[in-house]
Amino acid sequence: MEHFFKLLLSPMAFAIGFLWPLATQSLVGLSYVDAGMPGILAGAAVAIPFGILAQLRGSWIWIK
Amino acid sequence: MDQVISMDNLDQLNDEQLDVLERRIAGKYMGIVPWGAVVWGLGHFLVFIALFPLVLMDVLPLWVAFPIATLNIMASYLPSHEAQHNIIAGRGKPLRWLNELVGHVSTIPIVYPYRVLRATHMEHHKHANHPEFDCDIDVHAKSRSDFFVQAIKGRQPGSDRNAAYGKTLDRIGQSELIMDGVLFQAAYLIIMSTMAWTGHAIEAAFLWWIPRMIGETHLLYYLAWAPHHPGAEQGRYRDTRAFKSRLGNVVSMGMQFHIIHHLYPRIPLALTPAAYREMRPILDKRGCDLGDL
Repeated sequence: MEHFFKLLLSPMAFAIGFLWPLATQSLVGLSYVDAGMPGILAGAAVAIPFGILAQLRGSWIWIK
Repeated sequence: MDQVISMDNLDQLNDEQLDVLERRIAGKYMGIVPWGAVVWGLGHFLVFIALFPLVLMDVLPLWVAFPIATLNIMASYLPSHEAQHNIIAGRGKPLRWLNELVGHVSTIPIVYPYRVLRATHMEHHKHANHPEFDCDIDVHAKSRSDFFVQAIKGRQPGSDRNAAYGKTLDRIGQSELIMDGVLFQAAYLIIMSTMAWTGHAIEAAFLWWIPRMIGETHLLYYLAWAPHHPGAEQGRYRDTRAFKSRLGNVVSMGMQFHIIHHLYPRIPLALTPAAYREMRPILDKRGCDLGDL
């Protein structure tokens, strides 16, 4: 149970669960990319690096 | 004795007599049910919840809902704060259920569990400005701009700020309450992710994610940083200050008078300005930092 909550509350889970679709829908909404697979891939390209940074460094924006 | 102890002869009173006078004033403002805080807490919660279906059903545009949600979250903590101090109703009183209802419900928008807030806030009162035991000590910053830098740093996953309340709960032997925080955060993330992956990420961001960031920063600034700045001293009359907010008493959520709250936590928020005005000469004599207020 502890592992489950640690995973659920991890920065990577937030990046995948929220930032990825947020980036996708924002980029599509702003007409930077097409909806569908290009949008999903572009959203991942934005959100996942943030998730990796936050997970490994403990900061979304490098400074801490 | 009563005739001697009055505001007219403050200069002739010793500490003990000042204490009697101070408590006499404070007593006038305690024991009053703050119905405004009850309506405020439950009302903001209901409006906040209502925004989600209203926006998702296109009844309310997101650009209208965003500032309302932000306002709801900015206002969500203080009714719970009244409940934390048992101001609405103490243990064993008929309205105790209402005290607990307001306490639990009003902080849902800001995603803080009531029991954690109550336990840690009592420690903040006991140890205000203590470098080790004050769970809000890491909010201190030497200037306003430093506070905002600190606030950004405090929001990062690896920040000590995230662990501050957990450490306090461990220290006071109430670590079981950490699960309340975990469940709150888990529920928040599940709701946000569900909204996001069903095509409503932007709505989720502007209804909860961004308003929560703004609300938390506003709360920390006015409740934790400004009234305790510079945070270098401890003691009943030195750990909290009065200050004049350039944005007024409403925007600063009454925190200009937070010194009254630390001296007499059972005085309802709405009555702290009146209590302050009456008590001011005594506080001045006590050597409190009253700023320009």
